[in-house]
Amino acid sequence: MLAPNPPKKRNLAGKAAIWGGVLAVAAIYLFATRPPPLADGAAAERTVAIEKVFRILAAENDTVRALWTAEIVGAGGKAGLKFHEKWRDADVAAGPLPALFLREAATAVQKTRIPLGLFLGSDFPIAQSNRFTGLQAEHFQRVRATGKPEFFNATDIGRQTAMFPDYAVVPGCVSCHNEHPQSPKTDWKLKDMMGATTWSYPKDRVTLEEAMQIVAALRSGFAAAYDGYLAKARTFEKSPEFGERWPREGYSVPTRDVFMREFERRASANTVDRLLHAFDEPTPMN
Amino acid sequence: MSQAPRHSSTERPLKRVAYVLGVAVAAAALAAAVMPQLARFHAKGPANTGHAALACTDCHKEAPGTARQQLQAKVQFWVGGRERDAAFGHERVGNEQCATCHAREQDSHPVHRFLEPRFAEARAKLGAESCVSCHREHTGVRVTMPATACATCHQDLDLKREPLDIPHRQLVARQEWQTCLGCHDFHGNHKRTTQTRVDDAYPPSAVRDYLAGGPSPFGRDMKYPTRTGGQ
Repeated sequence: MLAPNPPKKRNLAGKAAIWGGVLAVAAIYLFATRPPPLADGAAAERTVAIEKVFRILAAENDTVRALWTAEIVGAGGKAGLKFHEKWRDADVAAGPLPALFLREAATAVQKTRIPLGLFLGSDFPIAQSNRFTGLQAEHFQRVRATGKPEFFNATDIGRQTAMFPDYAVVPGCVSCHNEHPQSPKTDWKLKDMMGATTWSYPKDRVTLEEAMQIVAALRSGFAAAYDGYLAKARTFEKSPEFGERWPREGYSVPTRDVFMREFERRASANTVDRLLHAFDEPTPMN
Repeated sequence: MSQAPRHSSTERPLKRVAYVLGVAVAAAALAAAVMPQLARFHAKGPANTGHAALACTDCHKEAPGTARQQLQAKVQFWVGGRERDAAFGHERVGNEQCATCHAREQDSHPVHRFLEPRFAEARAKLGAESCVSCHREHTGVRVTMPATACATCHQDLDLKREPLDIPHRQLVARQEWQTCLGCHDFHGNHKRTTQTRVDDAYPPSAVRDYLAGGPSPFGRDMKYPTRTGGQ
């Protein structure tokens, strides 16, 4: 006849059985796949380097800036429309200057929930708070030296970053910056590199769908910036004509649809072409 | 053979009362944890200035999924089976929730601006890219950041054309950072004209009171009021 287990061993076996049961239940609760696991958010489909998306965005920005600067600010100035750095003030009957149009668009992008950052800066800005320092100053020196964009990772915020050169594209850029009382540099010339746009995004690769959402967010920012101008223009004592006509045709301002249609006509072919070639390697240089 | 201990005649009713009390306390605790009507008791402290009328759920959004899905996702993340962590219970409150009421067409210090690489020091020292770094919630005040935080970014302030009777660079050299908010409204959301004489600046005590939730020396006329008419 076998001797019964001593009480201590029986206790240990009992405790082990209880803990084993608890662990088994916990494992089933935590690892069994019903209900289905939450989406990870990390897509398994093919992805595009964010650098390529930045190049698309910079090209879109160049297009809208050229349109705004030449067709609205330049031609508008000749037609009697005013543009001023304090355009938001109630007593200033003016629209935003090109740099401020970009800032309006950048602010509007923040409301889209697409985490795209867009900033404009310089080594000789009118507003001291726009002067490049640190990492951006270093990269901007290279942009200035090579004329090519720079791509880097701002590690403290985990954001992929790009800097693209920003040139004086119309005489208005030069005269305004040279004549401004706070300007630290007064000998700008046409086609000078006046600064850079900085773009940032929290991922190094995105799906093609996400890339299109980013482009759409930027475009909605342009449209919102233009809407801001239209809202202000409606308050002018001498109201311009709003419709199909552009300032070069008189004291007129195109509607948002007309403005965006012209922007899309100029920008879309290039953007679609770049998206179609997004998976090509190596990265196109322009 | 040993005999079971005898219970006294008063011990058994006492035990029953203790059990009933224990169950009642546990039920009350459970109710406090899950009943939405009692959610206010979970708050870490009093609502900040202007937030008293907000519901908890205006800022604290429920995380997607069931509790089990959220736990599974967390465990998967901890063991390396998932790239991103998942929220449990409620999502983390971020700028997005603040912007629901406080987004403006114009802001002289928008938080997104601090995501530019060159503001690394402001991010490291102040956490300036996040609304709650200056407006920590459940503290019962308006602003939790000291009024002298401007020093982090504006040490080299030197205006070519000086609008103030005492040059800004002199104030900076004297480290008079408590004077900044005497003239400048940080987010620029008040309809007002910036002073041009230091003597006309609001006294530091008025600014301190304002940050602590007191009356605004900048006035009540807002450029972009919130949907509830606040700042």
